[in-house]
Amino acid sequence: MRWLSPLEPNNRHQGVRDERFDGIGDWLLETSEFREWRDSVGEADNAVLLCSGNPGVGKTYLR
Amino acid sequence: MVIDSLCDQAKKENIAVAGLYCDFLSQQDQTTTNIMGAILKQLAGRSSIPNYLREAFQGAKAEFGGRGLRLAEMIGLLKIAIASLPQVFICIDALDECLPKCLPELLQALRNIARESPNTRIFLTGRPHVGEVVQRYFAKTVVIPISPKTDDILNYVEMRLDMDDEPEAMTNNLRADIAGAILEKISDM
Repeated sequence: MRWLSPLEPNNRHQGVRDERFDGIGDWLLETSEFREWRDSVGEADNAVLLCSGNPGVGKTYLR
Repeated sequence: MVIDSLCDQAKKENIAVAGLYCDFLSQQDQTTTNIMGAILKQLAGRSSIPNYLREAFQGAKAEFGGRGLRLAEMIGLLKIAIASLPQVFICIDALDECLPKCLPELLQALRNIARESPNTRIFLTGRPHVGEVVQRYFAKTVVIPISPKTDDILNYVEMRLDMDDEPEAMTNNLRADIAGAILEKISDM
């Protein structure tokens, strides 16, 4: 499978997973924007959800 | 957090989640082709290696001493992988950290996939300026502005202080001072 790509995103994800705290940022999962996006399968026009913010606000996680 | 939540949901339902974190430090490796390849690897590598990948690999191995795939070929394989799954979530973190010249190509590839495979949902994060670029490719992108939430900060500070290696040095007043000082800082963000 390495032939497909040298990138190993699971390593970084495990790092983030270990470092982040449970419960922090959960508000995002409750927003109507997130829920509608998650449940809107099949609508090609609404495929993308973007979380934007300045450096350090916690887009990846709070640290 | 979003990837974990989608993965937890994926255990219950028959969906697949793939993700990638862009990083300034590995920009050279983070070409659009490699990013698509990393996503394909996650989607296709869930069980045994599918035949279409085996064939593509065997084919490439025979040419020029083992060629890599070109972007269009990679996208083609990714579409096959997605078509075999009922629902796919692709999450890419920190779009602003991929090479500026790569970003339009990456978004074009994602648009190509989203159009042909409407069972794909794409979750992106990035600094505010990438919003404009993303909207050029996906006009109906929903944007959620992220700002630190007071509750999140207070909980975070509490949890970090609970793990302090010198708990005897901590008093309730000091806890309150630390939380207050941090909240003051972030009110400027």
